[in-house]
Amino acid sequence: MIRYTLPDEATIPACGLPWHFLDYALQREALPAAIARGTGMPGDGSAPLPGTLVSPQQCLQLLTNTLRELDSADTSFMLGQHLLPGADPALTLALRRAGSLLHVLEILCRWPARLLPLLRPRLHVADGQAVLYWTDSHGAPSLRAALVEMHMTAVVSLARWLGGQRLPWRFCFNRARPRHIEQHEVHLGGELRFDCQLDAMLLDPALLVQPWPDAGAVEGAAVLAGVSESGAAASLVDALYDYLLAEVRCNPTLEGASAAFGISPSTLKRHLARCGTHFVAELDQVRTHVALYLFQSRRADNEAVADYLGFHDAANFRRSFKRWTGLTPALLRASLAT
Amino acid sequence: MTLRLSCGGHKARLSCAVMLKLHRHSLVAAAFAVIAFLLLYAGAGETKPFSAWRWMDIIAEGGMAAMAGLWFVMTLSSRPGGLVTRLLAGGLAAIMLGSCADCLDEFFRVDKAASWDNWLEALVPFGMLVLTAGIYYWRQEQFMLNDHLAKRERLFRQHRAFDRLTQLADAAYLRHQIRLEQERDPSGQCALVLLDIDGFHRINREHGAREGDRVLQAVGHMLLLNLRNEDLLCRYAGDRFALLLPGLGDAGARALAQHLCDMVARMRHHGPHGPLPVSLRFASEAAHGDAEGLLARLSAAIDGAGQPAARPQQTVPAQ
Repeated sequence: MIRYTLPDEATIPACGLPWHFLDYALQREALPAAIARGTGMPGDGSAPLPGTLVSPQQCLQLLTNTLRELDSADTSFMLGQHLLPGADPALTLALRRAGSLLHVLEILCRWPARLLPLLRPRLHVADGQAVLYWTDSHGAPSLRAALVEMHMTAVVSLARWLGGQRLPWRFCFNRARPRHIEQHEVHLGGELRFDCQLDAMLLDPALLVQPWPDAGAVEGAAVLAGVSESGAAASLVDALYDYLLAEVRCNPTLEGASAAFGISPSTLKRHLARCGTHFVAELDQVRTHVALYLFQSRRADNEAVADYLGFHDAANFRRSFKRWTGLTPALLRASLAT
Repeated sequence: MTLRLSCGGHKARLSCAVMLKLHRHSLVAAAFAVIAFLLLYAGAGETKPFSAWRWMDIIAEGGMAAMAGLWFVMTLSSRPGGLVTRLLAGGLAAIMLGSCADCLDEFFRVDKAASWDNWLEALVPFGMLVLTAGIYYWRQEQFMLNDHLAKRERLFRQHRAFDRLTQLADAAYLRHQIRLEQERDPSGQCALVLLDIDGFHRINREHGAREGDRVLQAVGHMLLLNLRNEDLLCRYAGDRFALLLPGLGDAGARALAQHLCDMVARMRHHGPHGPLPVSLRFASEAAHGDAEGLLARLSAAIDGAGQPAARPQQTVPAQ
């Protein structure tokens, strides 16, 4: 049975991400009461007591309040600058001792609930390209753009700090070109593409394994060995993504998924509705990601992808793909080629 | 240089409360005057019957009093003390009280032989005179502020475009100014320079974001002190500043940018743990063509300038 957590379960240590948000807002002279409203954080601007937990929902509310009160295009990027190495003692040490970017990304992808509880990083290395893409952990469509900006900045900034140089990342965004493009240029880099189907960061895989100066890889491995797996249960949306990705070739259904999670279909439906999503939307997202991967890396044609995803024929797949993304596969392939 | 232009959001709400507190005596005095007027009319005149009320007059005169009262509070809530504030607020208060008297006339019948009623209504033209004097001095004050802000805003004011930390204009404002400059003088020389602080992310990591903010403010001030009046300094984003230099060619712009880098390098910034060396690098280009493309090119150039010399093991990205 698959373990999962829901967005209103208190799972995030208040001294970590929530205090990071609140502290930044206070540095920018925001009123503590306005930032802390509805978030379970102290309203007088003091640090939360050690051991306090808040829920992802409260953490997202805290972010909403911070963005609203500071009303500045750079807030999400500035929050990202110091998001990592984070506040989890063992994992922070492991990140600082990592020997290369690949180690860092592996740690991030293995313990997302403890390091990046709001947006899930997923690393995919194949065919001469490393892709780090991001999926929503708790269903927060209105905060999606800010979360993506923040998390991408966090990884870029950590890699730059530990590696000592700016890496030639390329960025794809699942959104239209924003007005505050200058923030992207300064905090991320100049290689930006908008209106993509995915929020992703691309890099030459050779740079992933390039050893970093003054790294303590051996020590880092020892630290990692001591990190417990506790508290690592994924959010429901993340766990469902993983399940659907594994089952994508066998036409996964709501009934099958709910059985795997050990709950009734109606309970799964209700849980997903509380995350602001539904089963078919999640399935479509996974299928889009798989189709994109096959188009991009394998240069697959419609027949091959339709066959892989279990469609009867290419025409059927083409119609579905248009419904998922608003683009026909041919148009998408043309935009990938440019 | 410590001029504050904080607008919008939480900070404006804070400063609004502070300003109202600063002027609380004036506010209390105005409130007492309105009550005193009411008591005076109620005591000295006789109440008109409801049927004799003229609604048009009540709405027009009462509305005027209410509006003048609102302007009075808004003026006080947005300005520090001083002669100009006293004149503007005093004039508006007199207009409010005069209109109040006018309006109370509609509810109470006052003996026409008593001239105090007319004197109170004469507060309106008197208030207008005071307000006019206030606006005259306000104009002079504004000229001085324009001088002060010349390098930050260049002949166009848009209060939302200012960055709270450095009090400099932002990138959207810069793009707007580049277009304005191109329209104003399409064939003239004009240069655009981007300046970036070396290793700013390390300052932030090692000394904290508050120290990083102080470095940004110090660099902003240093740059402003070394510019001509017609130049515009903006905070592009993060630790990147932008300079629009009308009338300067490529060589002139480079010389100026190099001078700015030298000045900042010689600046002694005191961090919490002793002096903190701060240095800049720059990229410059003639400000022609599409503003967004131009800025993206310069941004890429300055990113390239920030890389340490090519390392042998560094591989070239595939695309």
